[in-house]
Amino acid sequence: MREQRRKDAVWKFLTYSFILVMTLGMMVPLYWMIVAASLPQEEFIRFPPRLYPGTEFLNNLSVLHEETQFLISIWNSVFIAVVYTILSVLLCSMAGFAFAKYEFRFKEPIFYLILATLILPIQLLVIPLFLMMAQIGWTDTFRAIILPWLANPIGIFLMRQNMKSIPDALLESARMDGATEFQLFYRIALPAMRSSLAALAIILFLFQWDLFLYPLVILEDPGNYTIPVALSGLEESRRINFDQIMVASSLAIIPMAILFLFLQKQFVSGILAGSLKE
Amino acid sequence: MARITLTDLTKVYDPGGEAVVAADDISLEVTDGEFLVLVGPSGCGKSTTLRCIAGLEDITEGSLEFDDQNVTTYSASERDVAMVFQNYALYPHMTVRQNLGFGLKLSTDLPSAEISEKVDAVAEMLGISELLGDKPKALSGGQQQRVALGRAIVREPEVFLMDEPLSNLDAKLRSDMRTELQELQQDLGVTTVYVTHDQTEAMAMGDRIAVMNAGELQQVGPPEEVYRSPKNEFVADFIGSPSINLFDANVNDSTLTGPGGFVYELEDASPVESYDHVRVGIRPEDITVVEESPNRATVTVVEPMGNENFCYMTLGDVEMTARIAPTKRPVADEEVAFTFAEEALYLFDPVTGESLKTKTDDTTPDLTTEVSG
Repeated sequence: MREQRRKDAVWKFLTYSFILVMTLGMMVPLYWMIVAASLPQEEFIRFPPRLYPGTEFLNNLSVLHEETQFLISIWNSVFIAVVYTILSVLLCSMAGFAFAKYEFRFKEPIFYLILATLILPIQLLVIPLFLMMAQIGWTDTFRAIILPWLANPIGIFLMRQNMKSIPDALLESARMDGATEFQLFYRIALPAMRSSLAALAIILFLFQWDLFLYPLVILEDPGNYTIPVALSGLEESRRINFDQIMVASSLAIIPMAILFLFLQKQFVSGILAGSLKE
Repeated sequence: MARITLTDLTKVYDPGGEAVVAADDISLEVTDGEFLVLVGPSGCGKSTTLRCIAGLEDITEGSLEFDDQNVTTYSASERDVAMVFQNYALYPHMTVRQNLGFGLKLSTDLPSAEISEKVDAVAEMLGISELLGDKPKALSGGQQQRVALGRAIVREPEVFLMDEPLSNLDAKLRSDMRTELQELQQDLGVTTVYVTHDQTEAMAMGDRIAVMNAGELQQVGPPEEVYRSPKNEFVADFIGSPSINLFDANVNDSTLTGPGGFVYELEDASPVESYDHVRVGIRPEDITVVEESPNRATVTVVEPMGNENFCYMTLGDVEMTARIAPTKRPVADEEVAFTFAEEALYLFDPVTGESLKTKTDDTTPDLTTEVSG
């Protein structure tokens, strides 16, 4: 009995130590980023490094903004990601609803075809997409960044799996209550899927937020740059502006952090939804 | 309120080229204000028939009329029917009030004040007024059941359809709700089609019951008639609890001989005239345990029910059940003599299963008036 208890305690200690080390491992770069963002460039490269924040954050920020219009880039990124997320959530959940709850010809082949597009890396799509956008005169526009990625195969797959858990009787009942097919979708299916929608929103937002190569190719005017594109501009050939990169990175994570804080409860329950048969 | 007429209604499912006939040529009329129960074993097509009436399934062949209006091709929402589902199908994200009012909101132009009034009235009728602000997951099974009923009632439809609405409730609540549902239906006078696999429920609730098997309608009639005069062996076997005792017997002029030395002399042998063997059916309550009889069976188990005892026996290789007086309690392996009246005897065609003879004993007069009323 006592032996068992000691074993448990040791295990607990090891587990928590492991978690602590992992957490530190993840926190240190984040902390270092914020510290570095507040140091003047000279101090940043000094050894041993300074481990506590300095006072140059605002100064660095103003230099950054002068050089790259970084605040505009943040706005661009937020705008693109928000519009993309809303449209894509709507589209993916509609597609998921159709695949989960309707019968139509070639339903399975179409679905697997959509899933199969997952194996195409973005790098492969960038050039053909760019050519297409150039042909219709959409280069250097936000819609060229948003539209091609709206039908997201992961999103469609996620929503199809979750929509399947909506009982048919619920939809039939609404049908008898006089609901149209579209009302079934937005009055019954969507509200029932709230947590999955939150999870999907985070996934899609993150996808668009981190998109780099494609906007780099499409966007020309620095006033249209998104954060990743603007960040890459800081690595100049003659020197790398670490302090400004750090300031920019610190700012770039804020919208993500806010989004995740708002949706985290739904996100976690959304990821688990449908994992157990009830 | 409406009269429902099904004419040669057929529903064929065709998944991947393999046709399954779920409802085969069903013709049935449900009169205005009637409570009709569709009953049968799982997979007999009763739910499919109900869903065809609801408009949730396309009708492959045949027609469906409400009063004199052909509604075969109408969508579910155009038919003015309300349905109560087995699992209630309450909208999980809406409060009870929103659940009740949803149909009115979508299918009528009523102002929200009037919808609210109707919802309040129905909630009061069902005793769920204090639950109007709750979400379905906060309710007990019985309360959810009431909300589901309320949702059907509030729309004041021409027809109520109920698909095993009581099967998720525990036994006590089920019998309470059964009574309540009947009273409600009588008060509202709405034509109701009710599906169940539970023959006791069917007998207890239906003005008439329609027995189905393998997609086909076997018999429609008042519960007593179906019980006493089943059209065939299936109906006789399905209706009645405990089930009727059935076994093969050889016919020799007017003498029936069966398993375990069973022998019975018919006074009227006309039903079996052209047969050399038949299926014999005896209801458990018609078996009397006596001191002396040529027919003897071996007792296996006796279950006391309080007001009577169920006596399970074997007659040769056939298992039999008898409902006997609580004062009689034979023990296992005891051999008992039993007898029955010829009026209570059922005889069926051994090949087609059709009835050759059903109960002919008298029934009490007031039972008859209840049937015709």
